[in-house]
Amino acid sequence: MNSNALTIAGRLMRQLVRDRRTLGLIVIVPLVIMSLIGLSFPDEGILDYIAPALLATLALFFSFLLTGISFLRERSQGTMERLMASPVSRLDVVIGYLFGFFLFALTQTLIVVLFTIYAFGIDFQGDLWQILVFQVMVITGAVTLGIFTSTFARNEFQMVQFIPLIIVPQIFLSGVLWPVEQMPDYLQWLSAVMPLTYAVDGLRDIMLAGESLLDVGFELAVLAGFTVATSILAAITLRRGTAG
Amino acid sequence: MVDNKPDGITVKIDKASFHFKKLKAVDELSLDIPTGISFGLLGPNGAGKTTLIRLLAGLLKPKSGGIEVLGQTPSRKTAHLIGYMPQLHSLYSELSVIQNVNFFAQIYGLRNKKQRSQQVEEVIKLIDLWQRRGDSVMNLSGGMKQRASLACAIVHKPPLLLLDEPTVGLDPELRVTFWDYFTSLTRQGTTLIISSHTMDDAAHCDRLAFMRQGKVIAQGSPCELIQATGKPEATLEDAFLHFIRREDINNE
Repeated sequence: MNSNALTIAGRLMRQLVRDRRTLGLIVIVPLVIMSLIGLSFPDEGILDYIAPALLATLALFFSFLLTGISFLRERSQGTMERLMASPVSRLDVVIGYLFGFFLFALTQTLIVVLFTIYAFGIDFQGDLWQILVFQVMVITGAVTLGIFTSTFARNEFQMVQFIPLIIVPQIFLSGVLWPVEQMPDYLQWLSAVMPLTYAVDGLRDIMLAGESLLDVGFELAVLAGFTVATSILAAITLRRGTAG
Repeated sequence: MVDNKPDGITVKIDKASFHFKKLKAVDELSLDIPTGISFGLLGPNGAGKTTLIRLLAGLLKPKSGGIEVLGQTPSRKTAHLIGYMPQLHSLYSELSVIQNVNFFAQIYGLRNKKQRSQQVEEVIKLIDLWQRRGDSVMNLSGGMKQRASLACAIVHKPPLLLLDEPTVGLDPELRVTFWDYFTSLTRQGTTLIISSHTMDDAAHCDRLAFMRQGKVIAQGSPCELIQATGKPEATLEDAFLHFIRREDINNE
């Protein structure tokens, strides 16, 4: 891999490690949210059914949030201007961010998955490692989506409004709460272009039906395609001239 | 240090224009900047100084006209030849001084670890922050941040430095220190382009361009510009006003 991307990834990790409070929040917030959701379900059967969708949703939400805000800060504090004036390419920046945040997003996902499964005694089929590998694909897409989205935000206020715009419709339209087939046709079309739809489908197939990663190959491929597409779009929209 | 300067000119600007929608930020501006001097871009806010610096850094592309930096059009390929210090401190506030400087050293291609740590140490000592090298940037004073920002711009020893209002917010003592750094850099053959709106900075520059509404209205050494007013006791401020009035009369 390009050494500039690695340098950027290393710098992001150092930044987060030095910011102890953020590091603590990365661990604690998903646990608090998952505890509240888990305890609020009166019926364990419903929780078993909804757990895969929740895991996918939280992975998407937290990874998107973390990357989106961090990327925006890079611009608002002026360091993006410096990076764009340096020999670093736009794709180096995107890939650097992807790798830099991947480890934290992965840690967060591990905590959420293990906590949900063991603290609430979720009854699941399929292998734990396959669940985690699938989640890796979900967070990769979420990280690049975060970068891509933040290139459209000029300040924190705008970015904060992108969160409900990008995340909330996916929660309601991607089959997290009710089956996609029961929605009107035009909303089903919309749900077909949302990455969370494939994340929820794939994770449910693994956790509820005991399918393997090969069986959910289509969902994985869509999520991989989404990651590649958003990475390229992010690199294109990150023009040198609009760094400020 | 610099190979591409057969004519001793580091920057050639030929009728370059740049506009943001209807606002002409740089208007058919031509300028040659010789190698190894400190060149001041002087003018009020909105005169086009920052836009010109961003054009030279390759962050913007001229809508018309041409720009050459060390014989090449500014792009990612010329980036390693340029040190750029933006107006904001533009540092990673959670990281320490040494981590910031080291990061930019790596980004600018200093791959050899030994050589990099040598240059990083040298530059942090130059800006007198070695004692505070492990402190997070967010815990530094404004002047220290400004010094750390300068260190990030010069760590890879570029032949051309673009400094956008580097002395803004500095106390008089630190301003003098900054000019000592700048003078030592030009002595080593580095070309400095410094934007400023203070006449104190202007007096330190080897050559100046007075800018107004995206154009250069006069250029020369501080002495030449003062002499042009016809009053030996005039200040650079008087000289600037003199050229503004002359420009207004010409326009009428």
